[in-house]
Amino acid sequence: MPTAIFTIGRSGLTASRRSLELTAQNIANAENVDYSRRTLTQGELVMTGSIGTNAADSLGGVRPGVIERAESALVQRQARDANSARAAAETEFFALREAESALETSGVFTGLVEYEAALTRLQNNPTEPALRLSALEAGRKMAGNFRIANGTLANARSLVQAEASAETLTVNELANELAKINADLVGAREGTAGRAALLDARDKALRGLAEEFAIQPTFNPDGTANVTLAGTPPVALVTGASAQAVAVTFAADGTASFTVGGSAFAPGGGAMAGRAAALAEMASLQGALDGLAVSAITISNTAQAAGAGLDGNPGQPLFAGTGAGSITMVLASADGLATAPAGAPAGSRDTANLAALIAALGAPTGPTTGTDTLLLGLSSRVAALETRTRGLEVVAASAEAEVLRETGVDLDTEAANLVRLQQAFEANSRVIQVAAELFDTILGLR
Amino acid sequence: MSSITNSPGSFFNRSLRQMADLRAGIERSRTQIATGSRIDRGSQDPAAAAQLRSVARREALAQVEGDNAARLGQDLGAAATEVEAVIALFQRVRELAVAAANTPLGENGRRAVAFELEQLREELFSRANATSLTGEPLFAGQSSGSAFTRDAAGNVTYAGTPTSGAVPVAPGTAIERGLPGSEVFEFQLNGSPSSAFAVLGGLVAALQGGAGDPAAAANAAIEGIDAALDATARAATILGTRMAWVEQVETQQADRRVALAERRSRVGDTDIAEAIARLQQSLTALEASQSAFARVSSLTLFDALR
Repeated sequence: MPTAIFTIGRSGLTASRRSLELTAQNIANAENVDYSRRTLTQGELVMTGSIGTNAADSLGGVRPGVIERAESALVQRQARDANSARAAAETEFFALREAESALETSGVFTGLVEYEAALTRLQNNPTEPALRLSALEAGRKMAGNFRIANGTLANARSLVQAEASAETLTVNELANELAKINADLVGAREGTAGRAALLDARDKALRGLAEEFAIQPTFNPDGTANVTLAGTPPVALVTGASAQAVAVTFAADGTASFTVGGSAFAPGGGAMAGRAAALAEMASLQGALDGLAVSAITISNTAQAAGAGLDGNPGQPLFAGTGAGSITMVLASADGLATAPAGAPAGSRDTANLAALIAALGAPTGPTTGTDTLLLGLSSRVAALETRTRGLEVVAASAEAEVLRETGVDLDTEAANLVRLQQAFEANSRVIQVAAELFDTILGLR
Repeated sequence: MSSITNSPGSFFNRSLRQMADLRAGIERSRTQIATGSRIDRGSQDPAAAAQLRSVARREALAQVEGDNAARLGQDLGAAATEVEAVIALFQRVRELAVAAANTPLGENGRRAVAFELEQLREELFSRANATSLTGEPLFAGQSSGSAFTRDAAGNVTYAGTPTSGAVPVAPGTAIERGLPGSEVFEFQLNGSPSSAFAVLGGLVAALQGGAGDPAAAANAAIEGIDAALDATARAATILGTRMAWVEQVETQQADRRVALAERRSRVGDTDIAEAIARLQQSLTALEASQSAFARVSSLTLFDALR
């Protein structure tokens, strides 16, 4: 019957037009990283009627099915985990590199060496005012360099802390968004464009969360995702339509601690874990730097106490302070430098006490060697982190490429589809034209 | 439907990352060439950075030790000059004493000799209290005051310390700063302590009429004068030996400075030829990569379909 041909042609037109729409949508979103390509399923439509034993089929054409979204849970999970690991290493690397340049460029080591050199020069002629003054000023500069190092380290620390606080807000936003998406997904009908868009948004939120914390999502049959933050102990962040709030607090030594919904946990991966590790490392650096400053203070003041100044009086303390931030030169006059041993007369050119101070400063237990060891340890750590970051970047990039290969839009495929669907559309139009001609032929019977 | 596709997104990401890596390498080579230093952060080569730090410390100390040695050489030279002058002075004193002992000079002649000897005594006192270029006493040991003091009666006593202290001029090497005056001008005469000043003062007093037989007194003084000459000659030898030592140390210091500079250059300096070759290689790779990217990224079916 010509009417059946009309219906078949019309169904074909509808199916190819909707497929064309999806192809156009895919092409439009080719550069959208959060987009997963869609396809339209189709089913044959056959109507079967029977009266008694006589069954008759009536062909109905094609039925446009549901919109399918390319998904690959495994590959996406790999990409998320690789990204968490990369973010952890990268964040720690960047933070510690900051700390490294803070300690290197502040010149703590140079200051100590110059102080030692100025004292050695003073040995040549301990009563010469110019040499005494230059030794005193070298000490002042050394103390100043310690304070600069302390300041720049504190600066690097506060940058990491500010970043951690800011990213906590992002995590909370993403968690709330995911909870809302979960709520919407429950009501979304299977196979609709709206549901596919919600799933895209869900995966985007999961990716964002994985960047900051290592996560263990569980997917429910209705498409909703519950998220548990991996760590010690693992804690639930998003359950169905409800999300817990993440908060970060900083201790006096700068180290970070996290709570989720009020209960404490230590992140097991992601950028936040990298920041927490970097802050812990910085706290120990600060301790070491303070120790070096205290060592410089103690060695100088002990030597002063064991000697006599140019006026023959017992030496007074050279430095005051309890750490790198508070070390200051307190000796009022260069004449007070106790170059001679205790009991020496005024104006003595005996340098025994000065030699003891130089030996203590340059000893393997002294601050100069200590600074060298600290810098060597830190730069080795940063170099190791850099290597690790480069490796994890490659892993993350290949996982990302894998995801795009599984779910991304391939323009060549879409171009071929465009041609194919255009032909299908034209063919179906032709079917309708033929049907019309058939109908005209029948009407034209005389 | 799940098929494997070649997403343009992953192609673009990959290409961008590769080109960014090349660009970073070029930037690093350029920095190395511009600064002349292979390492600008310790973490680029932790072991080399640690070596550079220890070389920098050694260089700073070597510089100071070099200055110390140069000044020590000057001070020793100044002391040696004074001691040479004192030797010449005592040779003249001996000539005068011999003349006073052997030749019948008469009252006036003895007075003339006594007058010259008195002048020589003044010169001896001022040479014993000579100072270095920076005003430090040369023969006072570790004291910064005058080496010798003279009381109203003309008796000269040593006011310095018995040792003169050492100056470090190389790792583990310290050279005595000079000689204390007690070793240059004081000596044992017939088992009892005496000094150049006492010998000269005694002779002057005897010739000025303090002794009944001036010729015999002059004769007796010659023994003391010889002892003083011995002491100063010994001091001149010691100072000369130390100056030679300082010179030797200075030569070693120069060698060590060259060695340190070579080491620093080997560890931390950019190998310009290598850096330029690497830069050129990276530039070529980047250009090729960019043009390949432009060619490949235009390869879509859309371009073929018209």
